[in-house]
Amino acid sequence: MTAPRVRIAVQDLAKTFHEGTREVPAVAGVSFDVADQEFVAIVGPSGCGKSTILNMIGALVAPSGGRILVDGAPVAGRAPRQVGYVFQKDTVFPWRTVQRNIALALEYRGAPAAERAARVKEAIALAGLQGFEEAFPATLSGGMRQRVALMRSLVADPEILLMDEPFGALDTHTKLTLHAELLALWEAKRQTVVFVTHDLSEAITLADRVVVMTRRPGRIKLVYSVKLPRPRDVIRIRETEEYSREYGEIWHALGEEFMPGEPQPQARRQ
Amino acid sequence: MTSDRWRILAWQVAILVAVVAAWEYLTGIKAISRMPGLYWIDPFFISRPSKIVERFMHLAGGSVRLSIWAMAWSTVQSTLWGFLVGISTGFVAGLVLGRSERLARVCSPFIVAFNSLPRIALVPLITMIFGFGLLAKVVLAWSIVFFIVFFNTFQGARSVDADLIHSARFLGANERQVMWSVIVPSALAWTFASLTPSISFALIGVVVGEFIGGESGGGLGYLIIQSLGTLNAADMMVALVVLGVIGIVMALGIRQVEARLLRWRPEYQKR
Repeated sequence: MTAPRVRIAVQDLAKTFHEGTREVPAVAGVSFDVADQEFVAIVGPSGCGKSTILNMIGALVAPSGGRILVDGAPVAGRAPRQVGYVFQKDTVFPWRTVQRNIALALEYRGAPAAERAARVKEAIALAGLQGFEEAFPATLSGGMRQRVALMRSLVADPEILLMDEPFGALDTHTKLTLHAELLALWEAKRQTVVFVTHDLSEAITLADRVVVMTRRPGRIKLVYSVKLPRPRDVIRIRETEEYSREYGEIWHALGEEFMPGEPQPQARRQ
Repeated sequence: MTSDRWRILAWQVAILVAVVAAWEYLTGIKAISRMPGLYWIDPFFISRPSKIVERFMHLAGGSVRLSIWAMAWSTVQSTLWGFLVGISTGFVAGLVLGRSERLARVCSPFIVAFNSLPRIALVPLITMIFGFGLLAKVVLAWSIVFFIVFFNTFQGARSVDADLIHSARFLGANERQVMWSVIVPSALAWTFASLTPSISFALIGVVVGEFIGGESGGGLGYLIIQSLGTLNAADMMVALVVLGVIGIVMALGIRQVEARLLRWRPEYQKR
């Protein structure tokens, strides 16, 4: 069996922000690969640069050092076509109804009206948004808006999906529901996913591998392979011993990064 | 709720009736206008309701050369033209400058200078250039509306959420599609918010233009100035009442349009 194709290669990536005359290193020496159809989560304390890494993969932020290859081609200027992005912030267009938001990618592509209507209908059914087709986002809950944002991205059929704490602002219950929905959608299409979060249980529930970051400047502290079998039941999985063991192991590594005081560089080994 | 609304309406009607009745009654008593400081409570200065109605009927009839309807129509027409041209040009200018940092910086001092100029000071110049007709009034209304809409749209175009633009690009939008699906709708929300003040200011511009526009421009402003010349308080009051009604109707109309166009905003949601 050959090794799975590498979709995203992050090589010695670094980012330094300039705040006035001060240089603030956000990310330093980060390297990892994401294989085809793999679900990778990046966790770390806030300010560790995990979102910055995602922004660099999505070409929203230019790296200060190192490089990123998506399907072998260096990322520069503009995100490759096969990449979709779900933002942490609510980016549903408030002046468009639910179905016109979901239709955006198809409109941009110039898809015929009949195809558009059929695809949107399918997406709305998948997300359980029936009855809200004509609703404006202002009338929806945060969870429903994030569902719209997710379906809007998926309708474009991205092979690679970058997700920046998409469920960060939601309550636990809504979050779990959306985890289940996301996993079901992902099992069906098997996109390559990079999912940034500060919520460790979210990372373990969803991902094949968890990249644990150190505090600023963010480096990789640990790359952990989650062994939990798929398909996963987002509720039951939490009651398994395997889950607790893996949670404990990653938490131990992550916990050091939440300790007060300076992080000890000698403790960092990859 | 409903009974509360009726009660408020009843109060409003009562106040209106009381004021009109007091006006009619007090201006009928000669002795009041002889008291010190109260000389103006006299039909000569403030007319009286019955006289105003009488003059209105006369001006609305067919015997006058320029009926109140013709004057009102002239005012409304100029206002709407100035409003429409002002909105469209202000919107385009605001959008272009709002999306072009360099152009905005180049134009900024000129815009600020022109906007700080009291527009009334321009009336003689505009009249010299555009004559005494409809055009001069439209230009005057435009010169006010343009800047209100321009500044709003400019602000709107500059404050478009960058993440909305990014998400459009990730969904495959090209630059033209980003413009039409993100920047224009975002900026329009700001533009729409300036419609209500714009219509009021357009009306002000037009009336001021009519003050010196003479008969060829017609309009209610002309009736006001003419009444000043003949010391005819009743005609002046007729013009003021009609202007007031026009102002209210236009503002209500714009509010309807605004509520329709911005129906996606939380403040216009019924639920």
